[in-house]
Amino acid sequence: MATATEVQQDNPLAEGLLLRRTPDPCALVIFGASGDLTHKKLMPALYALAMRRLLPQRFTIVGVARTEDDDDGFRQDMKEAVEKYGRDEFRQDIWDDLAANMHYVATDFADEGGESRLAELLTRLDEEQQLGGNRVYYLAVPPPAFPTIVEALGKRRSATGWTRLIVEKPFGHDLESAKQLNALLLEHFTESEIFRIDHYLGKETVQNMLVLRFANGIFEPIWNRQFIDHVQITVAESIGIEGRAGYYDAAGAIRDIFQNHLLQLLALTAMEPPIDFTAESVHNEKVKVLKALHTPGPKSVVRGQYGRGFIEGEEVPAYRDEQDVPPDSMTETYVAAKLFVDNWRWADTPFYVRMGKRLARRETTIAIQFKRAPHPPFEETSAEGLRPNVLLVHVQPDEGVSLAIGAKVPGQGMTIRTVHMDFLYGGAFRTAMPEAYERLILDTMLGDGTLFTRADEVEEQWLLVDSIVAAWQRDRPGFPNYAAGTWGPVSADDLLRRDGRSWRRN
Amino acid sequence: MSAPPDLETWAGEDVHLADVENELGRLRAQMVAEGAPPNLRTSVMTHLAWVSDEWLEPARAALAGMAERHPSRTILLIPDPDSGKNQIDASISLECYALAELERDVCSEVIELRLHGRRAKAPASIVEPLLISDLPVFLRWRGEPTWGSPELQQLIAVVDRLIVDTTEWDGLPYPYKHLAELFESTAVSDIAWARTSRWRALLASLWPDIASVGSIRVKGTAAQAYLLAGWLRSRLDRPDLELEYVEAKRLEGIELDGKSAPFPPGDPPLPSDVLSDELDRFTRDLVYEAAVLAV
Repeated sequence: MATATEVQQDNPLAEGLLLRRTPDPCALVIFGASGDLTHKKLMPALYALAMRRLLPQRFTIVGVARTEDDDDGFRQDMKEAVEKYGRDEFRQDIWDDLAANMHYVATDFADEGGESRLAELLTRLDEEQQLGGNRVYYLAVPPPAFPTIVEALGKRRSATGWTRLIVEKPFGHDLESAKQLNALLLEHFTESEIFRIDHYLGKETVQNMLVLRFANGIFEPIWNRQFIDHVQITVAESIGIEGRAGYYDAAGAIRDIFQNHLLQLLALTAMEPPIDFTAESVHNEKVKVLKALHTPGPKSVVRGQYGRGFIEGEEVPAYRDEQDVPPDSMTETYVAAKLFVDNWRWADTPFYVRMGKRLARRETTIAIQFKRAPHPPFEETSAEGLRPNVLLVHVQPDEGVSLAIGAKVPGQGMTIRTVHMDFLYGGAFRTAMPEAYERLILDTMLGDGTLFTRADEVEEQWLLVDSIVAAWQRDRPGFPNYAAGTWGPVSADDLLRRDGRSWRRN
Repeated sequence: MSAPPDLETWAGEDVHLADVENELGRLRAQMVAEGAPPNLRTSVMTHLAWVSDEWLEPARAALAGMAERHPSRTILLIPDPDSGKNQIDASISLECYALAELERDVCSEVIELRLHGRRAKAPASIVEPLLISDLPVFLRWRGEPTWGSPELQQLIAVVDRLIVDTTEWDGLPYPYKHLAELFESTAVSDIAWARTSRWRALLASLWPDIASVGSIRVKGTAAQAYLLAGWLRSRLDRPDLELEYVEAKRLEGIELDGKSAPFPPGDPPLPSDVLSDELDRFTRDLVYEAAVLAV
């Protein structure tokens, strides 16, 4: 049977109409439907897609969770979530259309009975709504639940249509567990059916990194060791662990942010131009970067844990005083590292990365610092206020790009200062930016894995993390070593100072 | 919707274009509070509008909803060739909108130029100095263009896209022939066409059954009826497809071979939204051009 996309391709009336991103009819099954992610991200994203008429005309949502509930209760719960967390004004007519095709199955998935009830419901919905057996399964559950669900889904695959599986992070906790999880998934699904989500890749500004580099002729010729002094990537959060001690104390900053978001940002910054924007081409280039990535040694990695401090004038507790965190916890809430990409383009060009919780402010940026002008013909004093050119990509907040350049201060003398040329998304495009989950859910329904991570990418990321964590087993730093509301431990400043550099300050 | 904009204005009679630039600079400086960072001039285009007096108020109304979405320089050219004067009168407004989470504003500039006497005959020489370098230029022509006139020819030569609304034209379908003659000179958008997009999406969803349709009956404006029929004829390669239309102020219904097509979902877009969407297009709309040629 031809898919909706294939029918549209033959349709002469579809040319010029914005129809191509409407997916085939399908059922979206969310495991973990009573959880935070579903409330705060998934359901608001689905509502936003419904509002923009981007969902298939025949589409159904099935929530699965252990919480006792029924269809009406689930709909009411999800309605409240959309009203609270949605980015759009709530419209009853849009909601009614969406909610009419929402169902709920209360089950512990280890229970065969629950598995059967879900299968029966999906079969019935297939018949009633002509969904063609197409399924998206979203695993919004803690990792220990993955194997049971994956095996059950694998055993009961729909005989018709396509199946896609979205897997939330964390994808394993080290290389070995990631390999085991990949093996389990690949036992039941093909790689093209698996969508490992890293929501950073769904952000407009992260995708804009590819546009900035590969759609503008001026940057790529200087995007290399000849012109770039170093790169700084910052993923800073001012929030603490927000009641997630159980997860966070086992993961730490290196598994929570470094292994996924940060390495993905680095890969997009350092990768070679893909031959096209297909999933395979983009993944291939990112994997090459990750394979070439290394840190020169334990001294090039700094870890920290926050102590008591102040955020926006409010005193906040130390990490060890957070609820459910062991008082002697050695979990890092901050990591800074110097990394190198061993290839022709980047040899000897450091990538300094830092990420952490309870830092001075929320900010995700990629700063490309260029080499200084080789011989400025001005007096030394006139250029005191001149800093090197920096191309700064603001991923969040203040999404946009700015370029720091030197400019003459008006007046009789020759005084030079650094000024910024700013492109702000909010300034140039006065439309609301879609949430990352909207893009990623839609891409999954369309079968486009470009903005997801492939098995070998994940494994390369863990290989690097494991090498860093192995060195940590041999020492015991004096935690806490930075105050909440600061930019991290002093040793992180030393990491750059040793190279004659410093972290960017805003 | 965000907060209403801060507004600074200036007006002058018998002005030079340098006065306009100087006053804009002064207004921009005036807008910034002492010690605050400068406002952003993040223009994405220059938007020209050729607006005779009869269309002035609707043009202003459409602009009011659009400035925030497309930070731009908008130049309203109001021809007044018979005023007995030979001068340019200008009024300028700077609309600044606060950016969420930032202590900065982004500003749009609206320049209204009343072109008296002979000045109305050489509009390109008036707008050229005011165009923002290297950004696309859109021309919204209110009402039916004065085909073959020097002002139309001149403005077509400096713009990247002409935007018309053929609903505003009388005597359809004949003026479409004149419009088609411009296709090789500039990209063309038609707001009447944009307003049919929901219906076209709906009709496209009837593929492949719609391929053999013999007649279409449209209750709507003449422009929408002709364009929809032209679209089906050209896309389906069916020049024999017959059109019947019933005049209505907006597109209210379509019948195919006597059977009503379902109503498309959603609400019709606002005028400023339709114009705004057309300003996001940068290339020729070949499907539209084919529809116009087949009306």
